[in-house]
Amino acid sequence: MIAFAYIEPESLEEALALLEQHGEDAKVLAGGTGLVNLMKQRLVQPAYLIGLRQLARRPELAEIRPSGSLTIGALCSHRTIETSALIQRRLPLLATTFQHVASVRIRTAATMGGSLAHADPNQDPPPALLVLDARVRVQSSHGEREIELSDFFVDYYETVLEPDELITAVIIPPQPAGAGTSFFKFLPQTHDDYATIAVAARVSLDGDTILHPRIALGAAAATPLRARTVEAALQGQTPTPAIIRDAAALVAEEVDPLADFRGSAEYKRDMAIVFTQRAIEQAVTQATANH
Amino acid sequence: MASLVSVGRPAGHVEGPSKVTGQARYTADIRLPGLLYGKCLRSPFPHARIVSIDTAPAKALAGVHAVITGADLPNRRIGRFFLDKPVLARDVVRFVGEKVVAVAAESMDIAEEALTRIAVEYDALPAVFDPVEAMQENAPRVHTDTSAYTHPPVPDFVHPGDDRLYPDIPNVVSQVFYTHGDVEAGFAQATREFTHTFTVPPVHQGYIEPHASVVQIEPDGKVNLWLSNKTPFVARSQFAAALDVTEDRVCVNTAPIGGDFGGKGSLMDSVVCYHLAAAAGRPVKMVMTYTEELSAGNPRHPAVITLRTGVDANARIVARQARLVFSCGAYSAFTPLHTVHGSVHAAGPYRMPNVEIEVFRVYTNTVPAGHMRAPGAPQIVFGVESHMDLIARELGLDPLEFRLRNTLVEGDAAPLGEKWKKIRCKETLEAAAREAGWDTEKATHRGRGIGMYDREPGAFGPSSATLSIAADATLTLMTGAADTGTGSYTVLQQVVAQELQLPLESVRVVQGNTDSAHWEVGAGGSRLTHMAGQATLAAVRELKAGLTALAARHMESPREQVTYEAGAFVNTNGQRLALPRLMTALADREELPLRYTGEYVAEDPVEVTSFCAQIAEVAVDPATGQVTLKKLTTAHDVGTILNPLTHQGQVEGGAVQGVGHALTEHLIVQDGAVTNVHLGDYKLPTAMDIPELKTVLVKSDAGPAPYAGKAIGEHSNVAVPAAVANAVFDAVGVRLMDLPVTAEKVYAALREKNSVVKSGA
Repeated sequence: MIAFAYIEPESLEEALALLEQHGEDAKVLAGGTGLVNLMKQRLVQPAYLIGLRQLARRPELAEIRPSGSLTIGALCSHRTIETSALIQRRLPLLATTFQHVASVRIRTAATMGGSLAHADPNQDPPPALLVLDARVRVQSSHGEREIELSDFFVDYYETVLEPDELITAVIIPPQPAGAGTSFFKFLPQTHDDYATIAVAARVSLDGDTILHPRIALGAAAATPLRARTVEAALQGQTPTPAIIRDAAALVAEEVDPLADFRGSAEYKRDMAIVFTQRAIEQAVTQATANH
Repeated sequence: MASLVSVGRPAGHVEGPSKVTGQARYTADIRLPGLLYGKCLRSPFPHARIVSIDTAPAKALAGVHAVITGADLPNRRIGRFFLDKPVLARDVVRFVGEKVVAVAAESMDIAEEALTRIAVEYDALPAVFDPVEAMQENAPRVHTDTSAYTHPPVPDFVHPGDDRLYPDIPNVVSQVFYTHGDVEAGFAQATREFTHTFTVPPVHQGYIEPHASVVQIEPDGKVNLWLSNKTPFVARSQFAAALDVTEDRVCVNTAPIGGDFGGKGSLMDSVVCYHLAAAAGRPVKMVMTYTEELSAGNPRHPAVITLRTGVDANARIVARQARLVFSCGAYSAFTPLHTVHGSVHAAGPYRMPNVEIEVFRVYTNTVPAGHMRAPGAPQIVFGVESHMDLIARELGLDPLEFRLRNTLVEGDAAPLGEKWKKIRCKETLEAAAREAGWDTEKATHRGRGIGMYDREPGAFGPSSATLSIAADATLTLMTGAADTGTGSYTVLQQVVAQELQLPLESVRVVQGNTDSAHWEVGAGGSRLTHMAGQATLAAVRELKAGLTALAARHMESPREQVTYEAGAFVNTNGQRLALPRLMTALADREELPLRYTGEYVAEDPVEVTSFCAQIAEVAVDPATGQVTLKKLTTAHDVGTILNPLTHQGQVEGGAVQGVGHALTEHLIVQDGAVTNVHLGDYKLPTAMDIPELKTVLVKSDAGPAPYAGKAIGEHSNVAVPAAVANAVFDAVGVRLMDLPVTAEKVYAALREKNSVVKSGA
């Protein structure tokens, strides 16, 4: 039977203490859009469910704060990020990306921290966060640490989080001046679907030279990934069609897609090339316009 | 005739407010004292012998009240036409998802836990999944002995053919021929011949409400059944037969239906639900999960369609031969009749003097098929209309021109010999072409494609309706037919209001259960507006005549001098008696309530049909194969439209269902098991996926429904897949012979085409 103890801590400290006590047998419930499905299918059967609803009252967990970096509280909903004037102004890529996630109902429930902890490689936000050099702030009763998002994912539904750790925020550092960004979610079936392949890109231009390129993909492997060979092939180059095409082709070696209802592995690999090229082109166009 | 005060106006669904405010109580919402929850353990094997079943640990679980297996039940098979399905598997399982053990418990959670404690040992048997392979001599037999399976004589259906049930061909349930003319003589006249084979996978109806059953057995043994079923009287008959009791021992109660699309016409869990209730001595409710719906519901038949056509030097069709193979899955129990009757559309709405259609229904070790909106037609029409396009291209003709040369025109006999009146086929196609801008310029990688279909209004079975009038002059129409969401209650309400020249609000429509309503076939086959509409018309005319006689008595006038006019009776002296006053007088005399029943059976063949021409415009991304539907034009020849709002709802809803069938929907079956088992993986189109829809109505003035109306429920969903596939060819030159038209298939076909072009260059 699906039996578990549901606990709703009143404070972050209490939540962390509960995690320290029950970590291995506990799951943290934020928006529940990922976890509840896994529980209904009995794929995850925690003895303790720690509900974070009361913690949403804490501003540092539920707000988006501008400083030099931009800090997104772990309990911010997708909808909050999508509609935030601050995000729309400073990081339009994020606003656009979050808009692609599922439906308004899901986005209203799903949280920033929850989606990263869920670590489904088919999600939309991770590629965009990866190209923005995002870091994940995590806390336990023993202290706090920050992890580069590119080091965060380990495998399907698996991260480097320790059982007693809780994500408290995502930090996005200042972006290179005039950077252009893009996000492509390839949806060949219906608009309400996971991506067959998702690609985000960021480039900045110094004259005709590409600097700080970032390319990241979702639905392309066991984890969201940075396409570092593609980035290396773009760094310091002039964005000609041939350079972009040849760089994009390298993504085929970076991805390791799983065949599923959204496409065969071979098709997804081919589509990774197509959409990496399109993502770079659009980011370059935007960076040129920003120039 | 009085003016159309009600009929012809766009009236919103009479039951709509209760549905959108959440007040409607569906079968799954029913609560009864002592209600238990039932669940079934299903087979993980497509074909296996059951070696042993250990239910003891499940029975020992607290809160479990009944655990039953096939061995606990009478050895009786159930069904609609072919009685070939056990309620729970006996000795053998024949598809992944077949019910093996059933449990009733205090809660759904306990019932599910009990299932995990049941051990079934299986011995796997060879299985067959493809219907064409199943017909080979060396194929595994899904049923080793069908001699004990009963079925009534083949009904004299629309086109009586040469019907062979269980012929001597492996796994074949039925082999049916529809012939007209002399097909070989026809081919002898042909200058060109074309043969193509198409495949269509199974699809689910996609209703929101999963099947639910509730059974309550009264102390005297009478059974109360609630069931998501659009044909309660037919369900009562099948259910009583399954229990081996007379029909009066069963009452099928009513509840709103949350979508049907053909799928809500079977007994589903109700019989096992009865046996659980009997074993537990308490009422039991069973609600299928959507995973159960997708893996073990009653999907549309997958089909393999081979078409051979001969044309003469003027590109006129002289012969058509069709070989259609439908897989009915492991059981034929709840499939349409003796064959999949949409097969008659293998000739299409075209002039062709010589036709031979051979239809096989074949057992395979897959989920049993059922009915879905125009059973058989969407599969066949995908083949026929793609075939027409292929022939046109081979002949170097514009696909529109080739069709116009061959479409039926007034005076033509249809391919299977029907003589329709008021044929509007060509006009409908021309109207669609005009609206779609068939001859206008297209951007690169844009294409347009045509699909054609015709369907006559459903005319089978009796319909009845009972109209009563109360002391306050309010009218209540009781029908035995469920409104599956199409708006049939609203149309019947309009008919009553129209005939009595009264406001719509003065008429209430209720669905009676099988004890209170008169026998009625129910919803299906695009028949309700026609059949229940005519029965309602008869009832209201009876009421009008009856009340007029009573008014004459009251007014002390001879009957023939009194007439009814919009809520009052008038005699030749100019005296008026308002209807409410008459009703008050009748109440005072204790002569109420008054009930009038109308019945209707269509005696003659329906002499008109309805044509549908659809044109899809698509954009194809050649780098990805992605097909984006840009515009869909659907043209229909229509009679009087009784309710423009519900009519348009059927046109658009059907078109959208066709879009799903064309582009995304299919049950993916691997080794006999459906693998896309939730609606996250089985992709129904969303509002965002629907392009500009253009409806063109070509007016006609003949139809068998009241006020010369026709049918519309199963028209717009049928030809969309072919129109889309033809448009994809027009856009990028690749031809898909298999549904759905997915991006990956188009991409693969483009790569193959380009590599052929390159290697040829």
